[in-house]
Amino acid sequence: MKFNSSGYLVKEGFKNIWNNRMMSFASLIVLVSCLVITGAAILISVNVTTLISGIGDDNQINVFLDYEMSDIDSIKLGAAIKKINNVDECTYYPKDEAIKEYKTRLGNLYDSLQGEKNPLGNAYKVCLKDLSDYKQTIQEIEAIEGVYTVSDRGDIARTLTKLNYFVAIVGFWVVLILGVVTLFIISNTIKMTMYSRRFEISIMKSVGATNTFIRIPFIVEAMTIGLAAGFIASAFLIAAYNPVIETAGKMITLIRTSTIPLSSIWLNIVLGFSGAGILIGASGGYISISKYLRREGGEIIGW
Amino acid sequence: MIHMKNVSKVYPNGTEALKNVSIDIDRGEFVFVVGSSGAGKSTFLKLLFHEEKATFGKIMVNGYDLTKIKKRQVPYLRRTMGIVFQDFRLIEKMTVYDNIAFAMRAIGAPERLVRKRVRYAIAAVGLEGKEKRRPGELSGGEQQRVSLARALVNKPEIIIADEPTGNIDPKMSFELMQRLVEINKRGTTVIIVTHELELVHSFGGRVIQLDNGGVVDDRVLPPTIDYEAAAESSASESSAAGQTKEFERLSGKTDTADDNQKEG
Repeated sequence: MKFNSSGYLVKEGFKNIWNNRMMSFASLIVLVSCLVITGAAILISVNVTTLISGIGDDNQINVFLDYEMSDIDSIKLGAAIKKINNVDECTYYPKDEAIKEYKTRLGNLYDSLQGEKNPLGNAYKVCLKDLSDYKQTIQEIEAIEGVYTVSDRGDIARTLTKLNYFVAIVGFWVVLILGVVTLFIISNTIKMTMYSRRFEISIMKSVGATNTFIRIPFIVEAMTIGLAAGFIASAFLIAAYNPVIETAGKMITLIRTSTIPLSSIWLNIVLGFSGAGILIGASGGYISISKYLRREGGEIIGW
Repeated sequence: MIHMKNVSKVYPNGTEALKNVSIDIDRGEFVFVVGSSGAGKSTFLKLLFHEEKATFGKIMVNGYDLTKIKKRQVPYLRRTMGIVFQDFRLIEKMTVYDNIAFAMRAIGAPERLVRKRVRYAIAAVGLEGKEKRRPGELSGGEQQRVSLARALVNKPEIIIADEPTGNIDPKMSFELMQRLVEINKRGTTVIIVTHELELVHSFGGRVIQLDNGGVVDDRVLPPTIDYEAAAESSASESSAAGQTKEFERLSGKTDTADDNQKEG
């Protein structure tokens, strides 16, 4: 292909989209749906992975003391915790302060849960020196008399890992199925364009057009649909990202602090999705036109 | 130019379309290939364009050995030939100009060259002023001239016309044939595949007759009409109309054609 033909070929590709606009639109919708679902699965997975690693790196645990324990006994127990080798810091967290965190959620009830009526117990926020001794340290703390429970964030990590695994498995199948459907739809769109232009293709073949030259407008058409789908899907995901994180953050506080901020990933989303759209479009278009040229399109109809 | 040696073509269903055919056509020849339906004319064309491969024998076209040609070379072989189809094969949504330009754009010709060559081709077939018309707005004869211009525009070494007068009336047939003769005089080899023996006898030239897949006759016939004189004598009668009148008179054809197409 000569450079001076490229403008003509690209123009032909755009013309194809317009002439075949209904099928192009259908392909666009399916491709956008596929990319949005794929993107959602990827973003969930990436964020969950970040959360898990955030939990893994977090060397702080909460030690809850018996509800009945007095403030003095609680402070004494703190000294016992500090004696454990792997404990770096140990900060007292009295129940009066703890209840304040729930003030908004409790509303009118808040005032009635002060003092003796406070249902929470005193606690310590403990920072560990070495996370590899995490389990052993927790066991040592749990063994101290007066310790009610220790928040084991490993449970959250395990739950999130399971969630991540689930998202990955489900996401994989959803993407695979939708990917096949999308390729099918794209190649059918191209096939329809080809059939509507088979007469022109036969004339092109009769005057000596190469298969590459015949292919290009169809591939341009498919790539353009793919690129447009990539842009729409990324715009959709970018618009939905923060609201979804905020909603999820209301349910799980950790999400609010440990997820990836949109500002650091929006460009990746746009580039990744546009690239994926172009790639899917180009593959679908190429498969379709090559198949056609190998079969029916090889003939100069009308002899 | 074209060299066929002991060529046979057997289709997968067992039909033997060509049997041991040997034909040589030299540069600058004006050749009619005639034969009834099923004689092997279409297969002959398909072999020249390498749309089909010969089962046996050797074919050389414009320096390409079609028994050894690689798939990627086929488009380049086809660029050495221009085809005029019986049913014109014009793209309805394109103008006359674009239909002709399409043949050049399809092979990646630069637009500057397209503009230059299309103008030339339009002039060569006498369609000046009708560049912006669409095929539906032209008569059958004019459409066939567009088809001829499209075949010419890439400067082929051979023009192959497949039943070029099959869909046009005698007036237009005469005019088209004259143009093909003119093109031939400028050095382009012209091969006309037809079953209209009347036309063949009128214009004369080398006539290869196919029957049942074989060459049954190959001879040079003199023209039965002096088409050049006819063209000159009728020049005063506003060109084509006078020429065709003379053609009809000499060939015994009457203007009974029901040319449904609109006159341009």
